[in-house]
Amino acid sequence: MQSPAYTEPSAAQQQRALEGIVVLDLAGQLGNYCGKLFADMGADVILVEPLTGAPTRLLQPHVQGCDGIESSLVYQYQNVNKRSIALDLDSARGQELLKLLVRQADVLIESERPGVMSDRGLGYGQLRDIRPSLVMTSITPFGQQGPYAQWQGTDLTAMGLGGMLYLGGYTDTAPMVACGEQAIGAANLFAAVATIAAVFEAELSRAGQHVDVAMQECVVMGMENAVQFYDLEGTIRKRTAGEQRLAGTGVFRCKDGYVYLMAGGIGGNRFWKVTSQWLVDEKVDGATTLQEPQWNDQDYLASKEAKDIFNTIFQPFALSLTKAELQEKGRTRRIPIAPICDTSDFADSAQRKHRGYFVSVDGPQGAQITMPGAPYQLSETPWSLRQPAPRLGQHTDEILSALGIARDELRNLKEQGVVR
Amino acid sequence: MKQLLNGIKVIDFSWIGAGSYTTKLLADLGADVIKIETANRMDTLRVTRPFKDKVSGVNRSGYFADRNSSKRSMTVNVKHPDGLRLVQQLISQAHLVTNNFTPGVMEKLGLGYEALKAIKPDVISVSMSMQGASGPDRDDLGYGLTIGAVTGIQHLTGLPDREPAGTGTNFPDHIPNPTHAAFAIIAALRHQRRTGQGQAIDIAQTEPTMAMIGPSIMNYFVNGVVDNRRGNTNPHMAPHGVYPCRGDDRWITIAVQTDAQWQSLRATLDLPDRESWRTMAGRLEDVAGLDAAVAAATASHDSTQLMHVLQEVGVAAGAVHDARDIVAHDPQLAARGHWVQLDHPEMGPSMYNSAPFRFSDAQSAPSSPAPLLGQHTRAICKELLGLSDLDIDRLAEQGALT
Repeated sequence: MQSPAYTEPSAAQQQRALEGIVVLDLAGQLGNYCGKLFADMGADVILVEPLTGAPTRLLQPHVQGCDGIESSLVYQYQNVNKRSIALDLDSARGQELLKLLVRQADVLIESERPGVMSDRGLGYGQLRDIRPSLVMTSITPFGQQGPYAQWQGTDLTAMGLGGMLYLGGYTDTAPMVACGEQAIGAANLFAAVATIAAVFEAELSRAGQHVDVAMQECVVMGMENAVQFYDLEGTIRKRTAGEQRLAGTGVFRCKDGYVYLMAGGIGGNRFWKVTSQWLVDEKVDGATTLQEPQWNDQDYLASKEAKDIFNTIFQPFALSLTKAELQEKGRTRRIPIAPICDTSDFADSAQRKHRGYFVSVDGPQGAQITMPGAPYQLSETPWSLRQPAPRLGQHTDEILSALGIARDELRNLKEQGVVR
Repeated sequence: MKQLLNGIKVIDFSWIGAGSYTTKLLADLGADVIKIETANRMDTLRVTRPFKDKVSGVNRSGYFADRNSSKRSMTVNVKHPDGLRLVQQLISQAHLVTNNFTPGVMEKLGLGYEALKAIKPDVISVSMSMQGASGPDRDDLGYGLTIGAVTGIQHLTGLPDREPAGTGTNFPDHIPNPTHAAFAIIAALRHQRRTGQGQAIDIAQTEPTMAMIGPSIMNYFVNGVVDNRRGNTNPHMAPHGVYPCRGDDRWITIAVQTDAQWQSLRATLDLPDRESWRTMAGRLEDVAGLDAAVAAATASHDSTQLMHVLQEVGVAAGAVHDARDIVAHDPQLAARGHWVQLDHPEMGPSMYNSAPFRFSDAQSAPSSPAPLLGQHTRAICKELLGLSDLDIDRLAEQGALT
């Protein structure tokens, strides 16, 4: 395994789009990535952790051979560029300190069960009184109100109740949940959009917002056209893995793995002609059949007969070639056919290197931590990686000093277990 | 109620999936998004199922409609010199110009970033291609499903001994790419407002998608471990799965996070109290045995009833909802007002998603249905370009407005 190329951005000279915005990230899994998006664009994001640490510190995978609270790759990824204060929000003194932080903050991101923040005296109404321009973003499984508001909800629960789960998986098994906790990801992402829009407006109006984000509802946005199929045609879309979605569109085995081909049904079947011509030119057995007129009928493409015929013709050809060979042939003819990659397949990608996509920081115990970098390239205010994820409470002293807390008091707070 | 992006003007060349979805987010937040279309090469979603009453037509696709709420549509032929001039005039008033073509297309139209800057020095230009504006793979053709394939999402989802299942959808188009893009855009709008400086934003749609499986990618770089798909299991929770219920293709998800929750689940479903199942570590070692026992117990239950019973005792359980369930039978989505009926000029009252967040003091629901092809051409010509009906008729006759 080769270490990827990484060009250090000249961080000092860079302008930052979110310079001057202070974000308090209360360290829940539903808000950690949301906070990261702000931090990576230049906001000062303070990770307010419980004394035991952010829950993401316990998540797998870890740096191999390490299982402490500094070695989770999930934590390391989602918390770069942030500062950490460990603060007990269930103590009266901890709550006062958070209010001091709020007085200087633009954003607070939290994901407690609805009601918990209010019980601590830290609800939106209470915080707005001390900081009218505050944008408080609450990210929960189901939202602040409604019949499910107090329910338990994990990534899997939200994927099921939000409808995406039903669309994934094989026709002959239970539905299959998407990898990588995408419901949690979706909640973080939509929260980030809503929060930055609210900040954008609050900087002019000086009036903040309470933003209520529900993970289940975010999942619904991933239903593609299934809701409209129900609304307009009365049909219920089902999962299709193990078969083609339409004839010519789906997963096919090849010499060294799998490819995804999208020949059938895309944009009024725009790739059918070029795909069938390709197979004819390659002298694939039976390929001329695919040039008959019925293949331009969407209903025919959806039939078992069409899928079986296409499979009989295409599958032996695909098996004679590798993922890379099929991709190259598709590229030449502008046919959407893509290798199904695992994480080792794109680690050395020339394209990712060209864009400097993978970036590295020094992690715990001397490990070099390489991770996805800029999800977008901005010419004047680039994404930047400035520092690794903080150790638990790494910045407690400097953050409290900046609030005017004297050294003696700081010592007391630590002895009393209010901060760490 | 106020809208947070009120006053922001967007000239939108994006189409099909992720691009249209990005500008929908902006439009639903109150930006004035003008979708530049041409009848000569239509947004393919306009001619993609499902159609109202199953009757095809460029103004009848539900897929197109939901991705283009709150926008205005102007048809203009930018290959016609007068058409190009009109678009340039619109850009001179815009904060933002967006496209998701393959690299080079905007340049060929005379609307690359340098050309845009000449028209409007502080403009923000957003491009969203599959692989980014430069590099060896820059010409790659991309759709959500092929982006899912090359980024690992497809490989990592499904059963280890079966073909990769993926999400069954063009997932990168719906969530990872539009949300990342909208975030970057609003950040750039803030910078533009503070400094008077515009910029070019280049998004390779593979990259926000990979960002969503960061820890798996890091597991390879840091530990040399190539993650594989693992069905519905989870490294931290057991039971964690999708279990059969009574009826045709009905299922329930159950995710047990603590030993106390396990005891609640066990008591409710009358599962055996095995010593080895009392701890999470023990249960994680016998996922197959555990799943079989849970599945046998859930199979006779109604999924919705069982969800309520299990949630009552504090277990994360949820029915697996299909499209009808989320539209018609989910009281939580209904309570949040997720579904919005908008009266489309040709399709009539139809269903739209609200953005999945609520503001205490601003609107998050779409303000108007998707536009008809060219619905606002005349209005925009008058209001923003100061043209008279006579001018407009002349331009239309010359083929600049199709």
